[in-house]
Parts: sequence; structure tokens; C-alpha cells
Amino acid sequence: MRRSIMTLLPLLLAGATGCGAVGATQEAVSPTTVRVLVRDINIRAAGVDCAGTGPYTHFHNRAPYRVLDPDGAAVASGQLPAGTAVAAFAEDLGVERMPTYCEFAVAVRVPQRASYRLEVDGRPALDLTSDSSEGPALVAVVPS
Amino acid sequence: MRRALLPLLLTVALLGGCSTPTPEAGPPPAPAGGAAALPGPVPADLALRPAPGTAPAAPAFTGALTDGTPFAAAELWAQRPVVFTFFNSWCTTCASRQAALSELARSYRDRVVFVGVAGADQADEVQDYLRAHQVEYPVVLDDQQTIWRSYAVREPPAVVLVAKGGALLRGWPGGLDAPTLDRRLRELVLAGQP
Repeated sequence: MRRSIMTLLPLLLAGATGCGAVGATQEAVSPTTVRVLVRDINIRAAGVDCAGTGPYTHFHNRAPYRVLDPDGAAVASGQLPAGTAVAAFAEDLGVERMPTYCEFAVAVRVPQRASYRLEVDGRPALDLTSDSSEGPALVAVVPS
Repeated sequence: MRRALLPLLLTVALLGGCSTPTPEAGPPPAPAGGAAALPGPVPADLALRPAPGTAPAAPAFTGALTDGTPFAAAELWAQRPVVFTFFNSWCTTCASRQAALSELARSYRDRVVFVGVAGADQADEVQDYLRAHQVEYPVVLDDQQTIWRSYAVREPPAVVLVAKGGALLRGWPGGLDAPTLDRRLRELVLAGQP
């Protein structure tokens, strides 16, 4: 009995693996990071978890997002992580809580397209711009 | 030997099955943060510091608790100090501090009332949050964030302390941890506290 299972196992595994690719050509995808800087100038301690404020309250931990291609098709999707507060000004203000922006970064894998947009929680999509200054990234700044 | 054991194992399994209580479909549990979480009578020995005359009046508001029970903030602070905790179910900082705040609220129950205010959140996700963090105080669902705006809350967490009578004593955007809040309650509202 054990011998017959051992004989069948490679065939079963091969069949299971093959099922995922039936009728579909897998499109090559590349890892990149979607970065969104929400310039809401809210008072926070730098480095703490944050969410967008004012008109950007839909940017928050667990908010659903989609990366769209020029045709509006979703090429990646998921949920945002919490943002991270980054100081809005370079000057050391000497206080714990300071004017900050809220930056979101999420790793995605997307196929090559001419352009991308980011939709968060069903709101109007933002244009993403390629930026390789700190590794491959697609970035947006709001308000732009 | 193995074959001899089989009837015994089957018997044990059957008896075990018989003794398993049949789950009965009872009434669903009451929502956390509803009317059952409202405080009891104020303890007779509650001693409070007088609120400073310069403190502004806290914005009074009405709303509904998680179970739909009408809620009026002024009715609560007419009898005792109130701590409002503004939060969201997805807020990581809120979650990391909540268990200790829940415990602090239990320790002050009936003397200082904690009230959660969930802004623009999903009711089921709020319930998951309240149960996960043992929140046993009343929670208002602020779907339109009108309460948040009246207290100038832009982002969770935030904590606001209101004295008995409705004076707005302090607000902490970004919230604060339970030990610090405990210390501030002793400094600002509770008389005769070390």
C-alpha cells in the first residue's frame, strides 16, 4: 500500500501543479513598493503608526487598495498597512510631537505596464509615478 | 491484540459522542459596549477635586451605543468624571494600549466612567475589537464622525477627560497609555488619591 502511494505521489503532485496553469499563460511580474505620502500636516510623534486625516481618512490600516493598469484592470490588490509618521520639516523643533505627514508603503508584484494608478477604498484613483531612488517604487503624493 | 482493541476503541468513541453536549441555539450574546456596559450608581464615598473655573465646557452630544441604546454624554458627566477614548477597530496604537485601558476602566468602574467613541467604523469589526480587548465600558458608534469633529479629533487614538459637571479638563491627541492616564486621573479629578 505504502509502495503504491509512493508511486502515485509524484503523479499526483504533478497533476496538482499542472492544474494551476491550465489555459493560462503566467504573466511575468516584478516586485516593487507602492509608496503614498499623505501630506496632512498632522501633529504626531515622528515614527508612530498613523492614518490619513482630513480628506484622507480613508488611508488607514486594513483599508482595501487596488493597483490599476491604464485599462483600469487591477494588477495587484490587498489591504494597506498602518502608515508611519514622518516629520514634515527638516528642522529640529525640539518637541516630541511635531507637524508630520503619514507615509504608507506596501510591497506588491505587478506586471509591466505603461502606467499605474492606486485606488484606496473605492475612492478616485491616484496616479503612481515610477521612482527608483530607493529601490523600485511606485509613488504618489497627496495633495500633489 | 490490535484487532482486539478495535471494539473497545469504537465503544469509547461512541460513548464519548453521547456525552458531548449538543450545542443549543440560544439568543446571541449582547453586543459589547451596549446598555449592559453603562455604569451603576455612583459610590457614596467618591471624592473629587473641584474643576478649575477656567476650564471650558465640554461639547455635549447624544448618540447611540453599539446596541442602539440612546446615549447622552451630559447625563453621564452630571454624576461623575468621564473619559472619552476615541478609537477605530483598525487602529494599531489603540489596539496595543487597549487591554491596559480596559483594565484601568474596570478599576475605576462607577467612579470614573470610560466611554469609547468609534468613528466611521464597521459595527462588526468594532465588536471584534471590543471582545478581543475585553472592553467592558459603553461605546458610541460615531458613523459620521460628528462627535470626533466636535472634540477636534483628527486621528485615533485620542483621549479626553471631562470633570463631573461637564468641564473639559484635558485632551490628549495621540492618546496615552494606561499608567499615565491613571496618574492624570489622580492629579486632575480624584481627591485624596496618592
